[in-house]
Amino acid sequence: MRRRDVLMLMSAAAAWTTSARAQKPSMPVIGYLCPESPELFGSRLRAFHQGLREAGFVEGRNVAIEYEWAHGQYARLPALAAELVARNVDVVVAPGGAPVALAVKGTGTTSTIIFEMGGDPVQLGVVDSLPRPGANITGVSSLSVDVSPKRLELMHELLPAATTLAVAVNPTSPTANSQVQKLHSAAETLGVQLRVLNASKEEEFESVFSTVAGEAANGIVFTSDPYFAFRSRRLADLAIKYGLPAITQTRDFPIAGGLMSYGGDFVQSHRRAGIYAGRVLKGEKPADLPVQLVTKVELVINLKTAKLLGREFSASVISGADEVIE
Amino acid sequence: MIVRDRFRGLFPKYFLALFMAVAIPLAVNGGIEAWFGYRDQRAQLDQLLGVQASSAAAEIHNFIFDITTQLGWLVQQPWTDEPDEQRRTDAQRLLRQAPAIASLTLIDNKGHERLYVSRVGLNRIESRTDRSTDPALVGARANRIWFSDVSYNRGSEPYLTVAVVGNRQAAGAVIAEVNLKLIWDVISAIKVGQTGIAFVLDEPGRLIAHPDISLVLRGAEASTSQPFRSLREAIGPGVGFATSQDGRGRMVAASAAAVAGPDWTVVVEQPLSEAYAPIYASLWRTAVLLAVGTIFAGLLAYGLAHRMTEPIKLLEEGTERIGAGSFEHRISIQTGDEFQRLADSFNRMAGELALAQQHQERIAKLKRFLAPQVADLVDRAGDDSVLDGRRTDVVVVFCDLRGFTAFSAGVTPEEVMGVLSDYYDVLGRVIAQFEATLISFSGDGLMVLVNAPVPVEQPALRAVDLAIEMQKRVQGLIVGWRSRGYQVGFGVGLAEGSAIVGRIGYEDRLDYTAIGSAVNLAARLCASAADREILVDAVIAANVRGARSLNDMGNRQIKGFDEAIPVFGIPFDAH
Repeated sequence: MRRRDVLMLMSAAAAWTTSARAQKPSMPVIGYLCPESPELFGSRLRAFHQGLREAGFVEGRNVAIEYEWAHGQYARLPALAAELVARNVDVVVAPGGAPVALAVKGTGTTSTIIFEMGGDPVQLGVVDSLPRPGANITGVSSLSVDVSPKRLELMHELLPAATTLAVAVNPTSPTANSQVQKLHSAAETLGVQLRVLNASKEEEFESVFSTVAGEAANGIVFTSDPYFAFRSRRLADLAIKYGLPAITQTRDFPIAGGLMSYGGDFVQSHRRAGIYAGRVLKGEKPADLPVQLVTKVELVINLKTAKLLGREFSASVISGADEVIE
Repeated sequence: MIVRDRFRGLFPKYFLALFMAVAIPLAVNGGIEAWFGYRDQRAQLDQLLGVQASSAAAEIHNFIFDITTQLGWLVQQPWTDEPDEQRRTDAQRLLRQAPAIASLTLIDNKGHERLYVSRVGLNRIESRTDRSTDPALVGARANRIWFSDVSYNRGSEPYLTVAVVGNRQAAGAVIAEVNLKLIWDVISAIKVGQTGIAFVLDEPGRLIAHPDISLVLRGAEASTSQPFRSLREAIGPGVGFATSQDGRGRMVAASAAAVAGPDWTVVVEQPLSEAYAPIYASLWRTAVLLAVGTIFAGLLAYGLAHRMTEPIKLLEEGTERIGAGSFEHRISIQTGDEFQRLADSFNRMAGELALAQQHQERIAKLKRFLAPQVADLVDRAGDDSVLDGRRTDVVVVFCDLRGFTAFSAGVTPEEVMGVLSDYYDVLGRVIAQFEATLISFSGDGLMVLVNAPVPVEQPALRAVDLAIEMQKRVQGLIVGWRSRGYQVGFGVGLAEGSAIVGRIGYEDRLDYTAIGSAVNLAARLCASAADREILVDAVIAANVRGARSLNDMGNRQIKGFDEAIPVFGIPFDAH
């Protein structure tokens, strides 16, 4: 009896505080547009929250966050962005790649936009320059797009005898063309041929692997692309299935059983996006916040998979690896 | 009214005095404390900021020095013409271990590039391009370690090129691109006090390290670096700290130290509000104490003024009432201090005033029938029992004017009163002179007692002398009156004998009188005395015989006495 009373009191108090919080007009609202589902994005979201906390904001306590999830359907991003912007949020956070940033920027909102992407925001036309990004948009770039040629180099080093290497490209990605262009020029330097294969849907992944397995190319380099990055497990499974060495941008891939990855540290980039969102909420102007480039580009290799594939990393690759999975 | 007076009078005086007593020592102490505190704090701040600046400079130097040390490991072995796989592994490891290094270029003893490894760009192995004229290589060969100017990658991230040569020329050189953004880890860990910070400027004054990374990423812009440069200029080359405004417009104390090697400056700054917080706190304490002291002084002044004015009010009221004649009023003050003593002395004074007034009243009463000196005597004795009724031997003297009634009928009242006035004037003086007791007077007649209420020696003789003096004086007057045609004479009768004397009358109308045959006899003798005559009875005659001359006038039949009584005349010389 007494316990029930206490419980009732507690729930009443909780309801009261919740309603009080809901009524609190001062709590700012962040609109968070995510290209994927909460499950796939969990590690990134945690990093974002950590950054927010460093800037002094905790969701539910002094900031509210409204989420929109595209669940991997990148075509829906512009519509979801418009929906989010219509809710008059204080800051729109566009993490997970150039398509998200472009979708939010495309709404023409005057709210501040904080992006997180792997590409070059200047080249993509998202910002005017790194130190002076523009009126209402700034963010963090993880350099993942810039280092696509390094992935080709690493694959070439693993397979020095290979004359043709496959490159998987998502043709819907805004950075696809520039990456392919850079890869071609790198291939020329390295003296290899490229076999460019397109995949923009999960169903097309298998055909990429089966094509490579059936042809002369025996290693796949994945271009930087969020769609690929968030499907690391599937890619790793396929790579094992077809016994193909592959490299992607994110550490999720070798952790899931893929061979190796080379790309910007997403924990750092999402955390910094969180810090920037917090600073804007505190009243700083986005124009005063230069675009940050992530300093850490990490190489992660999986020796177990290498053994499974019958490949061996050179000593210089192993010594340069930030993480070695054994 | 008294309350208002209190605030006009004592309260402000007390308040001022107490306020001074409290405030001046406090203010002086606070001022001295603040002044010495300020000096100490400045000295301490100077020392502290100096130490902070050199320690920050040492940390920045260590950051660079660590990198050059690590680079030094790559230039230990002499180059051969063969590709050097080991160096490549070392270079890759170094890239992993030193996150600030973006790329490494290894150059052999001939100045040819042998290896280039980068985090972003493609590696170059054994390209053998001639780098012998590269300023980095030239600089490093001259000084062993060479630092470039800071450059900003795409106008944002500051980079520094560091070149290191081995201690043997055969070991070649290494050139590294260092991303200075990573100094952030070092610079943001430097805490100057609670909110103070450190930042780094390169030689031309561009910001290359600051806890706010977004400022560093705009360090190439003059507008970003300007406030920091001004702060460095404010400090100047001299020792000691400077106070100036920082980029956010707050006043700071700042000190600088040079970073050995790349010719940078580390500036540490601390907001003045924090640096001088102990002084502000001390001033604030003094202000609070002053306020408390003022309130305390006010309360104390009020209390004291209240304690003063209460008894003063009682004293005021008391003196007013005593002044108005209520001598029985007593002022009750039980403060145990001077006020109580003052009140007691007021009370004593009131008592004495009452006594003095009683004395005055009694004297006034006594003087009506006693000679002044006798009255004084009686009063000094403090006891008027002398006036109580008793039987005693007295000499009764009666005198009156002869022919006065006839005279008074024929002249104006003014003339009558003028004569009486002169007459009593003369008699009064004689009575006083002989210390006789005036019993009564009516019209031109007068009764005087000798030997009562105060006994005198030889009362008969004194009474006779009194009568003689009366006759002499009045006769002197009579000469004047006769010249004006007034036909009056003057006679005196004396008798001695036992009589009852005492006060008679009621309340304030009291008289002293004597009752006895001597009184009647004296009155009769006076009535039978002719002008210029003094008649005495046998008792007096017996008492003055031998002392004064006597004329035996034989027995006379006196009204009211059955037998004829022997009567004597006292002759006197009119001049």
